[in-house]
Formats: sequence, C-alpha cells, structure tokens
Amino acid sequence: MNIGHSFIIIDDSELDSFLTRKFLELTYKDVTIESFQDARQALDTIRETPGGNSLTQTIILLDLQMPLMNGFQFVEEFEKLPAEVQKKYKVIVQTILTSKSDPNDISNILAYKTVNSVIQKPLSRGKLLSLSEQLRSDV
Amino acid sequence: MPDKIKILYVDDEADNLVGFKASLRLHYKVFTAVNVPQALSYLDNNPDIRVVFCDQRMPDKTGVDFFEEIRISHPLPVRILITAYTNVESIIDAINKGNIFRYVKKPWTEADLIAAIDEANKFYMANSMLSIKNEELQKAYNELNKFAHSVSHDIRGPLTGILGAINLAREMDDAEEMKEMMFLMEKSVKKLDAYVLSMHDYYSLQRGELKIREIDFHKIMDELKGIYDINARINHIEFTINVKQEETFRNDEAPVKLIFNNLLSNAFKYQDKKSKTKSVEVDIEVRKNIATIYVKDTGIGILGSHVGEIFNLFYRSNSVEVGSGLGLYNVKSALSKLNGQIEVNSVLHQGTTFKVTIPSI
Repeated sequence: MNIGHSFIIIDDSELDSFLTRKFLELTYKDVTIESFQDARQALDTIRETPGGNSLTQTIILLDLQMPLMNGFQFVEEFEKLPAEVQKKYKVIVQTILTSKSDPNDISNILAYKTVNSVIQKPLSRGKLLSLSEQLRSDV
Repeated sequence: MPDKIKILYVDDEADNLVGFKASLRLHYKVFTAVNVPQALSYLDNNPDIRVVFCDQRMPDKTGVDFFEEIRISHPLPVRILITAYTNVESIIDAINKGNIFRYVKKPWTEADLIAAIDEANKFYMANSMLSIKNEELQKAYNELNKFAHSVSHDIRGPLTGILGAINLAREMDDAEEMKEMMFLMEKSVKKLDAYVLSMHDYYSLQRGELKIREIDFHKIMDELKGIYDINARINHIEFTINVKQEETFRNDEAPVKLIFNNLLSNAFKYQDKKSKTKSVEVDIEVRKNIATIYVKDTGIGILGSHVGEIFNLFYRSNSVEVGSGLGLYNVKSALSKLNGQIEVNSVLHQGTTFKVTIPSI
C-alpha cells in the first residue's frame, strides 16, 4: 500500500485542510501532500508542473464552496488542460453539501468526467479507508 | 400641496375635449388627445398618468380597441370608457376586452367625472402600493434564499470542521499537534460567532427604527481605541486616530458604530503579514453638518475587478482570511439608513482607504 501516494488538498478552510492532511498522514505511510487555500493557485501549480509530483496518479481533494474560484469553476478549468495532464490526476470532491439537501449541486459536480466521487464532510478515517478501497478497485 | 393627479382624455371631437378640460383643469392636470397616436405619445411621455378616459366612438379605432391595446403597453393607468347610454354591447366588450375599471355615460356631468376619478385614483394607489409591496417582498425573498444557502455553508462549514477535529482527536497523541488543532478549532468557533453577530446586525438594520441623538466622535473612537489597541500591539500595527469635531452632530449612533467596527476590523484583518510597516489610520472631521471619515490601511488591498462587488451580500474577495461576506453589506445598509455615502480606493498590496460621509440630522 505504500508505493508513494500523492495528494493535493484544495480547501479555503484552514481547519478542514489541516484535518484532511492529518487523516491522510494517519492512513498512508508514504505520502506527499500539497495544500492550497485558493483554487486558482492550485490550478497554476498543476499547469506549471504538468508531470505531477509522482509516478502514480495524484488525488485532488477538492472543496466545493470557496470564494474567488469555487470547486465547480476549478473543475471547469481543470478539464481545459491537456488530456495527458488530466490523466495524472483524479478529482475527489469533499463537501458539506449532501445529496439530500443539494441534489442538483451533487449531481452536477459528479457529471464532470474528471470527478471520481464525492465525500461528505466531516472526514473520518473510515471514509478515507473506503475511498482507498474504491480507488484500488478502480485501477 | 401635492401635485395634481394627471388624467388623459381621448376623443375625436375637439368640442368634447375642450368642455372636459374646462371643467376639470382646476382639480387635475388634464391631457387631451384627438386621436390614438397622440394619446399614446402622452402616455409614453407621462408614465405617471393615473386615469385614462376614452370615448367609445372614434373614427380610426374604438375606445375598446384602444383600451385593449394600452392594457398591454401601458398597464398602470386606470381605464374609464365614455359611452352613449344605449350602447350596451360596447360596454360588455369594454369590460371583457379592455378590462376597464368603469364607464361613464354620455352626456356626463362634472360630478360623475369627479366621482369616477376619485374612485379610479384610489384603485390606482392601491394597485401601485401593491406592486411596491410586491417588489419589497421579492427582494426579501431573494435575500432569504441567499441566507438559506449561506446558512448551510457558513454555519455548517465551521461545525463540520469542528466535528472532524473531534474525530481526529481520537487518533492523535502528539500534544503539539493537538494544540495546533485547538488553535484552528478556536478560529472556526470565532468565525461562527462573528457570523451570528453580523447576522444580528443585518437583522437590526433591516428592521430597526432610527434613534436620533447627539454623537460625540471623540467618545466613539475612545471606545474603539480600547478594543483595537490590543490587536495593534500584538500584530505590530501602528494605529492612529484623528478627530476634529467642534459642532454638534446628530444621527443614529448604532449604525455609525457598526460602520466603524466593520471598517476597522477589516483594516486590521487584511494587513499584509509580511509587511514591515503596518498601519491603520482613522481621520474624522465634522464640518458644516457633515462627518467625513477616512479609514486607511496599509493592507493587502482589493483587486480592481472585485471592488465593484465587495458591498454585495455574501461576497468574499479573499480566501485566506475568514470573512462572512456580511460585513461590508451591513456597512452599506447602515449608510443607506443614515443617508450617507461610501467610496473605496484600493491598491493591491499597498492598502485600502474607505471614505464615508454622513450628514447630521
């Protein structure tokens, strides 16, 4: 399981991004994490390092509701990047929105082809574990 | 005395028009038109015409047809048909097609007309009050929508964060990490608290009555200095206040304080942490019944393309600092209550200056 996992956290909340980082560190032994409070900076970084940071796919953990550039706008821009860049990443959305209270937002974000799945906040170790199960079976 | 009510009378017979105008000109502002195009041009140029009379029998168009047309193009004026006694067909038609308010029989008496105008005017007023109320309701409804949306994010956001932190705490044993997390949790709680407080500000601004009294800016600033001096010391921000007030100034104090509080907390919050010389300066001058206030900071500034939006409800132009998107919106509502103005001048990475002017009452 420790073949070097790479993550990018995009979340405007300091606490949430701290939590995600800690949960990732607890779950994976060998892990590279970059975090951004501003989605535009994340996009610029991805654009400038098109090869990504690792040999494996980098998982982008994306918050939806953020000022300046929200999760939807981020995905919109991300899907304009060259296909070989997009292939290096997998987008997982982390949000407080629920499929019950905001069914449209949830189905809209899942409609993007680069968006793999949606995790409901708050994050827990259990949620991360079932996510990595799912990612492994995807490959 | 209020302006005279504007009424329009359309009739192809010039004699009727003259008679009509002669008997009503004292009480009303009367427009008369001999044909439909002329009538339409009066309606276009005088959108405040409240009552339109029209004769049924005209060569180019019947009164009913005319009403049917303006019912769509000029729906506000109240429509009254003038028609000969026997013409029942046209009256039924007028009611069904032209949707008229009532009709006046020919030959009319002055008393008939005045009574009709009086009733029509009441109807017009009720209708326009209704549409004003409707607009207000629509606005309130739109804001409610925004609130419902924001509640889910701005209140649930910090809460789920704290919940997540509790989940994580069960698996953590490093005290230093724990402290770091506590610090971030505290920030979230404060954010939530600030949100609830500004929600209260929002509510009291929307619903509260004005309470006019004398305002001493020296006193207000002394209070605020006490609050912000601590922040200034901890973060090495030079904080200066200059007040020039020699005359009495009257207005509602609560919104004035709210404006200062929001502008100052922004000025302190949006400082450039890397900058060596950080300052916040407040200049107040009361002259000739106007208070002119400058709040200047040497902070991060606002991007030119965002300046137009910063006063909008729930708008946030910064992702690093926690903002509710309510502060400047409340400032703007407070100013509209005080009859004041606000201007922003901001240079990115250099600072922002807000200029506020408030009249004394």
